[in-house]
Amino acid sequence: MAHHAPSATATLDAPRTGTWDGGNEPFKASYGKLMMWFFLLSDAFTFAAFLTTYGFIRHKHEVFEGPGKFVASTRWWPVPDQVFNAFPGLHGVDLPLAFVALMTMILIFSSVTMVLAVEAGHRMDKADVQKWLLWTILFGATFLGSQAWEWSHFIHGTDKGLTMADGTVFHGANLAMNQYGPVLFADLFFFITGFHGTHVFSGVCLLIWCFIATTNGTFHKRGHYEMVEKIGLYWHFVDLVWVFVFTFFYLV
Amino acid sequence: MASHATADHDLAPGEIAKPNTGWIWKTFWVLVGITALEFVFVFFMNAGTARNTIFIILTIFKAFFIVAEFMHLKHETKGLIWTILVPTSLLIWLLVALITEGSAIGEVLAHMFS
Repeated sequence: MAHHAPSATATLDAPRTGTWDGGNEPFKASYGKLMMWFFLLSDAFTFAAFLTTYGFIRHKHEVFEGPGKFVASTRWWPVPDQVFNAFPGLHGVDLPLAFVALMTMILIFSSVTMVLAVEAGHRMDKADVQKWLLWTILFGATFLGSQAWEWSHFIHGTDKGLTMADGTVFHGANLAMNQYGPVLFADLFFFITGFHGTHVFSGVCLLIWCFIATTNGTFHKRGHYEMVEKIGLYWHFVDLVWVFVFTFFYLV
Repeated sequence: MASHATADHDLAPGEIAKPNTGWIWKTFWVLVGITALEFVFVFFMNAGTARNTIFIILTIFKAFFIVAEFMHLKHETKGLIWTILVPTSLLIWLLVALITEGSAIGEVLAHMFS
């Protein structure tokens, strides 16, 4: 009977081809890419929870309807282009949304360089992958720096500040008080942009790791640059979230 | 170290395909264009429901280009596309529902003592 054993083993090892026995691949995407998609979907739930909370709280508050120019008050929700109107190095100049426009452009650019890295990976062009990954890291880090400045300015506030009921003036913002409007406005700013910034930071870390692995030839030896693609999916998602944060926090 | 040095050596410059980046830059200009349009509306249109509607529509356009082209979802199988889009649309439903709810609660709070 012993001589039958090899053929029995061969039968067991035959690849499965049936529809219902795991033999097909309905999404025609690798395990890693699928799992990245599902992770991003779950991450979208988190950000949607933040933005839903923002919408709920904002609509719960009064809208400033005049008369006259907008003044900050805890009664009504602030007008974003009156709050985010500062630019590094231009103290006291009213430039509504200029800095956030620059940040948006930096992030869109980083998305482009990321997709260029993925494209280079498809062509097994190691030098190009390295080049575009470095650009993406640079733009990502620049975005983080810009966000740090934005936070710092938001926390320290403007020269004018907000005059309190007892006559004292409060400048800037923290989780319990802010000069811009209702307490929750600053809380939501810190949590939403902070959570997004944390994602950018994780993305930059992943990209740096990816750059090192590319330089060491890890992906080249593997025969494909799918890791760049997976990290690319994550990076574009972070850009996508910014598109929504930008609209709901800065534009509407 | 020697092994990957050999792998590098095997790649003669002629073996690398030419980059195909036209579609990437096209998508980039679409995104820049939509963002520029948003700024036109910020500065040249009064705030209100109409302007917010425009912003949301433009945001969905931008999201479409990022997801479809940069994340390549347009070129995946239908099954994967729906797997991502169906839960996302339910999220948008939740968003709309809670914003409506927020307005109702705001209304109640505003008239609580009058």
